[in-house]
This record gives sequence, structure tokens and C-alpha cells, in this order.
Amino acid sequence: MDDLFSLKKAFLEEIGSVDDLAGLQLVRTKYSGKKGLIRARLRDLSSIPPDKRPLYGSTLNDIKNFIEETIRNRELIFKTREKEQRLETEKLDITLPGNFTPFGRRHPVNQILSEIKDIFVSMGFSIEDGPEIENDYYNFEALNIPKDHPARDMQDTFYISDDIVLRTHTSPVQVRVMEKRDPPLKIISPGKVYRCDSDVSHTAMFHQVEGLMVDTGISFSDLKGVLELFIHSLFGADTPVRFRPSYFPFTEPSAEIDIGCIFCSGSGCGVCKTTGWIEILGAGLVNPRVFEMVGYNTDEYSGFAFGMGVERIAMLRYSIDDIRLFYENDVRFLNQF
Amino acid sequence: MRVSFEWLKDFVNISVTPEEVSHSLTMAGLEVEGIDTSVGGDSVFEVNVTPNRPDCLSILGIAREVAATYRLPLEMPGDDIQGDLPASDIRVEILNPELCHRYTGRLIKGVTISDSPEWLKNRLEKCGIRSLNNNIVDITNYVLLEMGHPLHAFDADKLSGGVIKVSKAGKNRSITTLDGIERELSGDALLIMDAKKTLALAGVMGGEDSSVTSGTKNIFLESAFFAPVSVRRASKELGLRTESSYRFERGTDIEFLENALNRAALLIRETGGGIIHEIVDVYPEKFKPATIEVNYARANALLGVKLEKGEMLKSLERIGIGVEDRGEVFHAFPPAFRRDITGHIDIVEEIARTFGYGNIPARLPKTILSGGVLNHKERGINRIRETVRKTGFTEVVNYSFMSPSDLDMISIPAGDKRRRHLGLRNPLRQEDSLMRTTLVPALINNFAYNFSMGARDIRLFEISKIFIAETDRLPTEGLRIGGIFYRENIPSLWKESSQAFFIVKGALQSLFEEMKIGGYTFKPSEEVFLHRGKSADIELKGTKIGFIGELVPDVAESLNLKVRKPEIIVFELNIDTILAFLPERLTYRQVPKYPFIERDIAIIIDDSLTAAGVMDVINSFRSEFIETVEIFDCYKGGNIPAGRKSLAFRIIFRSGKRTLTDSEVESVHRELVEYVLEKTGGELRYRS
Repeated sequence: MDDLFSLKKAFLEEIGSVDDLAGLQLVRTKYSGKKGLIRARLRDLSSIPPDKRPLYGSTLNDIKNFIEETIRNRELIFKTREKEQRLETEKLDITLPGNFTPFGRRHPVNQILSEIKDIFVSMGFSIEDGPEIENDYYNFEALNIPKDHPARDMQDTFYISDDIVLRTHTSPVQVRVMEKRDPPLKIISPGKVYRCDSDVSHTAMFHQVEGLMVDTGISFSDLKGVLELFIHSLFGADTPVRFRPSYFPFTEPSAEIDIGCIFCSGSGCGVCKTTGWIEILGAGLVNPRVFEMVGYNTDEYSGFAFGMGVERIAMLRYSIDDIRLFYENDVRFLNQF
Repeated sequence: MRVSFEWLKDFVNISVTPEEVSHSLTMAGLEVEGIDTSVGGDSVFEVNVTPNRPDCLSILGIAREVAATYRLPLEMPGDDIQGDLPASDIRVEILNPELCHRYTGRLIKGVTISDSPEWLKNRLEKCGIRSLNNNIVDITNYVLLEMGHPLHAFDADKLSGGVIKVSKAGKNRSITTLDGIERELSGDALLIMDAKKTLALAGVMGGEDSSVTSGTKNIFLESAFFAPVSVRRASKELGLRTESSYRFERGTDIEFLENALNRAALLIRETGGGIIHEIVDVYPEKFKPATIEVNYARANALLGVKLEKGEMLKSLERIGIGVEDRGEVFHAFPPAFRRDITGHIDIVEEIARTFGYGNIPARLPKTILSGGVLNHKERGINRIRETVRKTGFTEVVNYSFMSPSDLDMISIPAGDKRRRHLGLRNPLRQEDSLMRTTLVPALINNFAYNFSMGARDIRLFEISKIFIAETDRLPTEGLRIGGIFYRENIPSLWKESSQAFFIVKGALQSLFEEMKIGGYTFKPSEEVFLHRGKSADIELKGTKIGFIGELVPDVAESLNLKVRKPEIIVFELNIDTILAFLPERLTYRQVPKYPFIERDIAIIIDDSLTAAGVMDVINSFRSEFIETVEIFDCYKGGNIPAGRKSLAFRIIFRSGKRTLTDSEVESVHRELVEYVLEKTGGELRYRS
């Protein structure tokens, strides 16, 4: 029996000096391994006199359980301590920047263009595309702007030849669509247009969105409703809107639409030239002469058309004072949007 | 046009402020773009008069609108010439009545040429016309501003034969105009001539020979109606725009021109004396107002209002349009000064304008619901833009123009489609005189600009059209996406050693993956401006859709970056073709249920073999268990012999029907390895 007690004592001494998992493993092998001291005692059980054997056996078993449990406990302590140490030592300077490639930005004009498209698409308009280099017929004549008409001065045109021009507006798309399809129509035609003009508020190329709605019973009142809804969606529901008479050869009555100046809230500033209003859209009922040219029955159908410059809206949105910035393509500018 | 508020008050008794008048003009379609208060106590409106309203190109025209708006009477300027007048010595003959519909004139003898009175000079200058220290010329300008009708004064003593002829130029092809410039004319230009010589270019500018000078004693004053198209053509051909031509080409008042003539004659007598002679008036076809039928209900329906008959008619009468009620319709008779009103819609516009656009209610259309759609193309473009943006490229937009030197910069060969460019007849600058046939030059310029501004990590892309000239039809417009990449080799926190080419190639592959486009290949490029060893043409099912590559040293050096061997990568892809290859619809495939087994193969092969070539070999090995093959290492040098390289692939084996065993995968893999070694002539890197 004494050897059992000295075994336990020796174990306690040894384990007392173990300080890590590796040392613990050695102790475990020495005592409770397959070739360990406990197993050896168990194997030698037969050499114990039979009368002492039950007590010796149960004591040995107690010591075995004690040793194993002690090792398990120690192991748990050491493992916990090791995890703790890892958490303590594996320390990052979390203030270093992350490793990433920043997304590129969309050009501000295209961002606004998408917003405009989304609003009209949500109102049931579909998007139509057409050539940027156009026949004089589609750009002018079919829109009631005959050759030698002073209205041609309203748009400084780039010419490729006598009959081919860079489109000065996206309205030719409307004519092309009307030639192919019968009413009802609800379309917008976004895209690039060209005018030979260049200063802080004009560039030789810019973007327009023009729209057309044709059906029976369309009135000026509908035009006002749709465009007010559009403006309120784009600039906010409490933006003041006013319609005033103007002139475009392809619409009649024609209107220009102003919004209350978003910089001075209507009290007058440099942007609105102290008027309190900023022009944002041109529009009107489609001139019956345009319908006649595409073969629509003007007694049955009426419609409205509108157009806007995208850069202008982007300039207002972001307080940009020089339109040419959009085409300098300086990343320090582009990355702001 | 500049409109003096004080002058307006001559004709309409305005009691409200200039600001209020300015507002009501704007709301009546005569937009006041600014008010100039810097001129001695007066307010001068800058009015934007649209081309359809030449009647408003005068103080009187604006006064007429103000009078209608405020329902005030319009006081006309005095133009009644009293008494017996001597008959005119000068006859008028109109030889081309289709171009000159009326010609009136008055001889005034014994005038004194002098400086104009201050009040007159003052008004001219306020409205932007410089006084010429010649009362006759100043008065014609004064009446032009006041009444909107251009007049011209000839020195009557310089006329020969006592006759004024209005005729096309024919063989008289030159005239020295008042400004001293000799001008060549087309045979169709309308001229004012006497028995011997050319006196004036009708409606545009007078001739020097017949002009009024300080020594002039007798004058012949002209007030005529010239056909707008004729004046516009002459003015455009000569590039000569005057206050006269501006008004004639928009249309003047054929009736009222007589009042303007008289008004000027009286002012001349008042300031310079002289005897006014009897009017000469050749007016072959008298003005008859058009009759326009308008349906009350249709007018209301078009505007979305419910105006009473009387209300409609009265508003038209107030702006000078005659009306007659005819039951369901009415007849409208526009006056001579409203030549723009020719159809019922013009009358509807006048009704809307006088009623006030602001008073028309806004409503949403009653229409059949339709699904607004971003069409297939639009959606495709949006996805392309978003994907490329998310690979780090920032979007630029360039003008659609290019410089004649742009294609040379990147050495596009003669005969290449990109040489079929269109030129602008009237470019703003030579550098912008061609329509682009590729996006690359502009992107190179964008790169160089940003580099010069200090950027050292530059990733830009653009989606725009290019234009290829065609014979006998409109050019071909193709949608392209182009991009440029440059990143300076500088120490950075998170080392990333990828070569520039592969970063951009990776971006394009992300794009193809996102668009669900498979089967694309990168083959050595034929583009001469790209580095032979670092460029590729991209093909999709045998069709070339674009290229990617490093700019050749020549192009890079031309940018003067002061960087040794800059790696600038460009690409351009044809979006039209990409969109054509987009799958119509996607179909779901079952996700694999059984576990996979992974094996690697590393082989040493001849350096001339490409990774894609070896990949093709692996893929040509027939086994239903190979799920994916991926290259994970490419290595040269070290213990690899010169002229050879090591490639390593990871192969995933999996069955869709059952769990594979290690031993069956091992046997397939062994066969595969033998197959690959045989086909490539390679050897295993690690002998096991």
C-alpha cells in the first residue's frame, strides 16, 4: 500500500512543478500512459496477496482517477492560459488602413442621368435610343424647323455635310419612334447632343433627356402634372415650379419651366440672376405639324414633349459653376461624386 | 433686346414698378433676363425675344404686350403728315415682287445734317446703338428701335435716273457696303438699284456710294417689306448680320411700315428741317388677314381648362386678334404684325398665354398603364458600367471629337476601319475637328492630364459611341467601353505584386463573369500601338470584341512622363457585340451534393507553351469526374532549367451521383498526369 501512497506523492510533486502542456503530456505518459506507472501496478495486481487485493485494487483505482482528473484539470487551465496568451500577444495595430481597391466613381452626369431615367421609367415611360449623327430632316425639318428658318439660330449646329449634322437635341429620336409606332406612346430619349458653343455654361457636347407622350385627350394640364411630379421627385416635394410661355418650333403652346432657386430659396442671388427662379426644362404640346409629318391623326391624338439638359441639373445639384469641369475628367473632381 | 422702361411709358401709362412689369412680361413669354439700372434713373430690360415674335423687337411691340396685360390703352406715336406735299421725283419699280412685297419711300429735300438732340442719342445708347453724330442715320435707328421697322436713308443726289429698282443681283455681283467692305454677292441676292448702279443690299445694309454724309442735302427714305427667306440667305451668305436683317428675316409688319416711314420723316423735319414729299408706295398685293377656325371645345380640351366663349374671345381681342363667334367654333383674324399665327394651334397658344400658364391646373394623365422599362441594352450597359466601376475604374466622359493627329499618335495603319472618320465642317478647334473612331486617344489624354496633376494610381474608363464613315448613308455608330490603367511602383503598405496587365485583365474577367459570358479567349494582339509581348485581342466565340495591352514604348515616351518604362495598360471592348452575346435567360443547375477530392499537378514545360494551352490539354482529357481545373502557380528560374517553366494546377474531382473513393480518383489522376505529360512533352516537377 505504501508504494501507492508514495506514487501519489511523487505524482503530486511532479505535477506541481509542471508549467505547460508539454510538461503535462510527459507526466501523463509517465503515469497514465499505456506503459505508465498506473498500468504497471494494475498488471502487477496478481502479485498482491488475495486478502489485501480488494483494498489495494480500489485504492489504486482511486489514485488512477485522481491522477487523470488532476491532469485534465491542469490541462484545462494550461489551455485556457495558452488561449489567453494568444489573444494577448497576437495583437494588430487595428488603426492601420484596410487592404482594398476603392470602387471607381460614376461620372456625375451619368449619375444624374440615371436618376432622371429612373423617375420616368417609374412613371411608365420607356427608353429609346437613336443616332448622334443625324439627317437634317430628323434633326430639323421633321420638327418643323425648315431650312432658312430663324429658329435654326437657336441651336448652333455642327455640320458634317449639307444634309448631315451632329444632332442638336435628342428630339429626332422621337420622330424616328413615331414613324415606326402608333400611339399611345410614352418614351424618353436620353443621350449626347452637340452645339458649336463653348463657355462657362456651354460645351460643344452635352447630355439631354427628352420625353414624349402621345395619346387621345392629352392636354397642357397633363404636361404640367407630369413635369411637376418629375421635378418634385428630383428636387424635393416642396420645390416651387412655374410654367411660362416660350417658343420651340416643334411644340405649341410651348413653355419653359422654372424652379424656385435652390440656392437663395427665391430671394434672389447670382445663380438665378436675382429673379428667384432657375430655368430647368423646355416643353409644350406637340405641334400638329410634327404629327402631320409622321402621319398621326391630329384630330384624334395630342401629346406633349419636353427636354432638359443633364449637365445643368448636375450643376444645380452640386453647385458647380463651370460646365467644362465635366469634360476635364480630373479625378480630383470625379471622385467627389 | 434692350427695352427702356422710360421709353415704354411714351406708349402706355404704366403705374406699376419696372420689376412688376418685368415679371408680367416674363410670364407672357417675353422673358426679361435682366434689368439694367445703371443708366441714369431708367430701368432697361434685357428681353429675350423668341424667333416667333418679331413684333416684339421694338419698344412699341413690348408696349402692346404691356398694355394688353394691364388692360391699358396703347398710345401710338404721331405719324400724321399734314398738308399738301410736293410730288416725289423718284419712281419705284419692284422687279422681283416675290422677294419684295411692298416698297414705300419719301423724298425729303433741304435737310440739315447735324448732331442728334441729346434725348434721342440718350435713348439710342440706352438700347445699345451708338449715335453716329448724324441725325438722319440716328433717326432711322431710333424708329427701328421704337417701331420695329428697319428704314434706310439714301442721299437722293447720288441717285441717278430718278428711279429705285428692287431686283435680284443677277450679274451685279459686288457692292461696297456702308462699312467700307467690298462684298461679293450671289445672283439671288436682292438689291436696291438706281438706273446705273447698286445702292443697297436689300434689308441687310446700304451701299457706301449712296450713303448719307455730312454734306447730304436731300434724302430718300426707304421703308419696305422684304421676304424673310431672301434677307436671311443674303445675310448668312455674307456673314453680315445687322439690326435690319435680324428683323426682316423674322418678318416685319407690312401694313405698319408706312407709319414707321412717316414717323421718321416727321422726326427728320423736327431735327433737321427739310420738305417732306408725297409718299411713293408700290404695294402689289395688299395684306389680307388669314381666317383661322378654332373649335371652342377643342381649345379647352387641349389646354385642360373650361373657358367661357366670351372669355376666350376677349383675351384674343386684347392682343389685337380679330374674332367672330360662329357657334361651336370661332374665326380668328391675326393682324399683320402677328405673322407667326397661321393655324388653330397658334390661337390656342395665345389663349393659354393670355389666360396664364399658371392658371392651367396640373393633373396626371388618364392613360393606359404601361410598364416603364429600361430596355435590354440600357440594362446591359448599366451592369457593365457598375461592374467596371467596382473593379476600381472611375468613369470619364470625353467629347466625341478627336484631333487629326490622334490616330497617328497611336499609329493606326492606313486601311484600318478607324481611319474611316468623319470631319466637322465647322469645328470649334482643329483638335476637335474629327468624330472619334476609337476611345483610346482621349483616354491617353485623360491619363496624361491626371498624371500631370500628380495622380499616380490612375484607373479610368469610358462608355461612349464611336463613328465610322459609310458611303451613301449615315455613319455606323458603335458603343465602346475603353479604359486606361497606370500604377506607380512605389512602396505600399499591402504589397501587391501583380503585373499591371493582369490587374486589368482581371477587371475584364470580372466583367465577363458578372455578365455570365463564357468562352472568351485572350490571343496575341495585332494592335500596333500595344506591346507585342504584353497585349491580347479578346475573342468571344471566334469574334474579336476588343483588345487589352500595354502601350508601346514609343507612345508612352511621347507623353513625357519622366518615368522609366511606364506600364500603361489600355483596353477597348465593343459593347454592341458583348450585349449580343448575353445569355437570353439563365437556367438553374443543381448544386453538387457529394464531397470533392482535390489533386495538384505541377509540371515543367517549355516556356513557349502558354498556360491556356496546357489548360486546354487538361480540359481535353475526358473524365466525368473532373469538376474544375485552376492554375495556381507559374514559376521560372531557381532550379527550373532555362527556357522552361513550371505550371501548377489544382484539379477538383467530384461526381454528381455518388461519393468518390480516394483510390478511383488516384487512378483517374494518374491517367491525367500521363496524358498531360505526353501531350505537352513536360515532366513532373516533383517526382514522387
